[in-house]
Amino acid sequence: MNRRDFTGLAGAAALVPLAGTSAQAQEFPTKPIQLMVAYPAGGSTDIGARIVASIAEKAIGQPVVVVNKGGAGGQVGWTELSRQKPDGYYIGFINLPGFNTVIADPERQAIFDIKSFTPIINQVLDPGVVWVKADSPFKTLKDVIEAAKKEPGKVRAATTGILSDDHLAILMVEEAAAGTNFRIVHLEGGAAQMKETLGGNVDVSFDNVGSIVKQVAAGQVRALAVTDTKRSKFLPDVPTTVELGYPSVISSSTRGIAGPKGMDPKIVARLQDILKKAMDDPEHVAKLEAVGLGIRVMVGKEYQDYYDDIHKKAIKYTEWAKKRPQK
Amino acid sequence: MSTLELLLNGFGAAMSPENLAFALIGCVLGTLIGVLPGVGPAAGTAILIPLTFKLDPTGAIIMLCAIYYGAMYGGTITSVLLNVPGEAASVITCIDGHAMAKQGRGGTALGVAAIGSFVGGVFATIALVVVAVPLSTLALKFGPPEFFALMLVGLCLVTGLAGRSLIAGILMTVVGLMLALVGIDPVRGAPRFTFGVPDLYDGIGFIPVVMGLFGIGEILMTAEKPVREVVRTNLSKLFPEREEWGRVWASIARGTGIGFFLGLIPGVGSIIPTFMSYIAEKRLAKDPSRFGNGAIEGVAGPETANNSYANAAMVPLLTLGIPSSPTIAVLMGAFIVNGLTPGPFLFQEKPELVWAIIASFFIGNVVLLILNLPLVGLWAKILEVPYQYICAGTLLFCILGAYSINQSVFDVTVMIICGGIGYLLRKLDFPLAPLVLGIILGPQLEKSLRTSLEMSAGDYTIFFTRPITLVLLIIAVIILAVAALQLAPKEIREGGDD
Repeated sequence: MNRRDFTGLAGAAALVPLAGTSAQAQEFPTKPIQLMVAYPAGGSTDIGARIVASIAEKAIGQPVVVVNKGGAGGQVGWTELSRQKPDGYYIGFINLPGFNTVIADPERQAIFDIKSFTPIINQVLDPGVVWVKADSPFKTLKDVIEAAKKEPGKVRAATTGILSDDHLAILMVEEAAAGTNFRIVHLEGGAAQMKETLGGNVDVSFDNVGSIVKQVAAGQVRALAVTDTKRSKFLPDVPTTVELGYPSVISSSTRGIAGPKGMDPKIVARLQDILKKAMDDPEHVAKLEAVGLGIRVMVGKEYQDYYDDIHKKAIKYTEWAKKRPQK
Repeated sequence: MSTLELLLNGFGAAMSPENLAFALIGCVLGTLIGVLPGVGPAAGTAILIPLTFKLDPTGAIIMLCAIYYGAMYGGTITSVLLNVPGEAASVITCIDGHAMAKQGRGGTALGVAAIGSFVGGVFATIALVVVAVPLSTLALKFGPPEFFALMLVGLCLVTGLAGRSLIAGILMTVVGLMLALVGIDPVRGAPRFTFGVPDLYDGIGFIPVVMGLFGIGEILMTAEKPVREVVRTNLSKLFPEREEWGRVWASIARGTGIGFFLGLIPGVGSIIPTFMSYIAEKRLAKDPSRFGNGAIEGVAGPETANNSYANAAMVPLLTLGIPSSPTIAVLMGAFIVNGLTPGPFLFQEKPELVWAIIASFFIGNVVLLILNLPLVGLWAKILEVPYQYICAGTLLFCILGAYSINQSVFDVTVMIICGGIGYLLRKLDFPLAPLVLGIILGPQLEKSLRTSLEMSAGDYTIFFTRPITLVLLIIAVIILAVAALQLAPKEIREGGDD
């Protein structure tokens, strides 16, 4: 044991009496809980957060306040989350894989890494979708890919932020269909993307199913492909990338809740209990499905494994994004 | 069913005694939020959402809209009385509103703001009913390049018209834009100008800066005068003098138009309409020197634009599901939680509810007027308290406000430093408005510039090939050129005559 380890241990020992006792965990929460969303209000993470918060706070008798800390594709919010006291009163949404790419990209100079957080529970798994506005000349994914092959760098493809899952999906399409090159436009969040796509300022958009279900149903936009292995129950008529012959283009966004590292396991268990109950509540299920969000509750090892697996994938595409030539 | 019938049905649903009570409670709570400087409309509305859970959807949404309107008005009260803007949209009201209060016309300033808010709100709602859908589609044509050009016009207007010298104006704008760069880069995500201080990652908060520059700066300015007479406020004087009415109505009409059109464009935010309206008033006035010294149009125009904007901003939300400001986004979340998803389907899926909400916009505006006019006298009475007490009270109020934004002492420090800077800048006669606008518009300006360049793969001609962008950029150049001519020293301007 070297000196530094010893100091660490001594520090940990000193902290033990201060850490939450089980009585504290039982009483938790005794004051409002802040639930951070690392995107501006109005996006689909925000919607899901507000629904789960509204149900959870009724059950625990304390307000669960959704705090929007948008900016830099989530980094602003996650930086904030990593710096909070691990007392369970400040938790936040981590959106894989956007969260992982922030860590994987050295340019981001993130002050946190994958070990800076305590994963608590996953709420939503929302597959990616390629979509255009209703009067676009692109009728199929093939049309888009051919146009991007014929005139590389001409087709303006929008993400919801640099190195978001949507950005990775564009890179996957370029990888799967050799010779394609999009002009990638990074927009801040789903609401901005909807505005610019409907306004004709971009040609094709990559987002998640939940963000566009209503607009598809209303006939404002057309979904071309869902980047998943099976069709989305919200868009049953839209083919998957696997069906269309691009089995490597699989991308989705998951929204889960995490806290800063070093949380008392009893508080984590209490939060998992509170949040799982809220997520299993029929009102939560109905409201999320009404806006096209697929619920996938994951806790414990299942969520930890998923968290680690997505991280490996994110590192690969982040490295490619850095080297990718923009034609 | 015709639009009118639908609207009348909506009134039928919204006018129940309970719903009227909810509208009243919402307006009171909202006004309180607006009065507290740290709690802006977005945060305040979010905090109050749980209050509405026990209500039926119509009642809940009526109450939330009332909170929203109330908050937009409440900020005006502190701007006028204490020179501390309660929220971003009332920053510009400080300039002439507080000057009016010092002349004993605080009641009139608040009265005119209430009337203007009412007229702007009601007209914007009528326009919402009539032209909502076609206009909202048109507003989508406003892409990142147009946005960039619009912001530039806003900055040029304020720079050119704010003070005694164009150089001073430009200097202040640039300082504001530089302060706006602090924080995490919005596109690449790398920290900038943070010097390793984590508190700076989120950038320099705009509320502490404004409270410092205006509120603390004002305290310091007043404190250096040894004795100050107590302001006698005439309580019955809620309305302008007879000869002022004509100018006031013209300002209100212009404010309504400016607020409505900017409200249709998602992302403009509540502050730009108020600045645009103020500048329009100053520009059109026969004697612009009255501005800054208690010009009533400087209150009437921006306050009307503010509320007209607040109502018009519902158009992109209700028709496209796009929230145009953080507060509206919070409202959208609340709508969803109450079983109402804003977007293209809303009018078909739940017409009863939508029209009840639109009817409640009218009711909210009426309640706000009825509530505020009698209270104005009471608020204005605060100014009769001897100044040393007001001074201490304002200071406490500012410190609490700055702290309550993020529970951060750092924000309090920023506010106090800005107070010192604000005092120095006033002494040196540098205009504060361009500095504030630079901080507020900086992030949006940068984002729209960089997105535009991504759209064009780095080609700057994107700003000259899009008609709306080009026109806006030409306007920006003209504004600066005119300002340069007007503000140039006399000898240069009249040099040709010798």
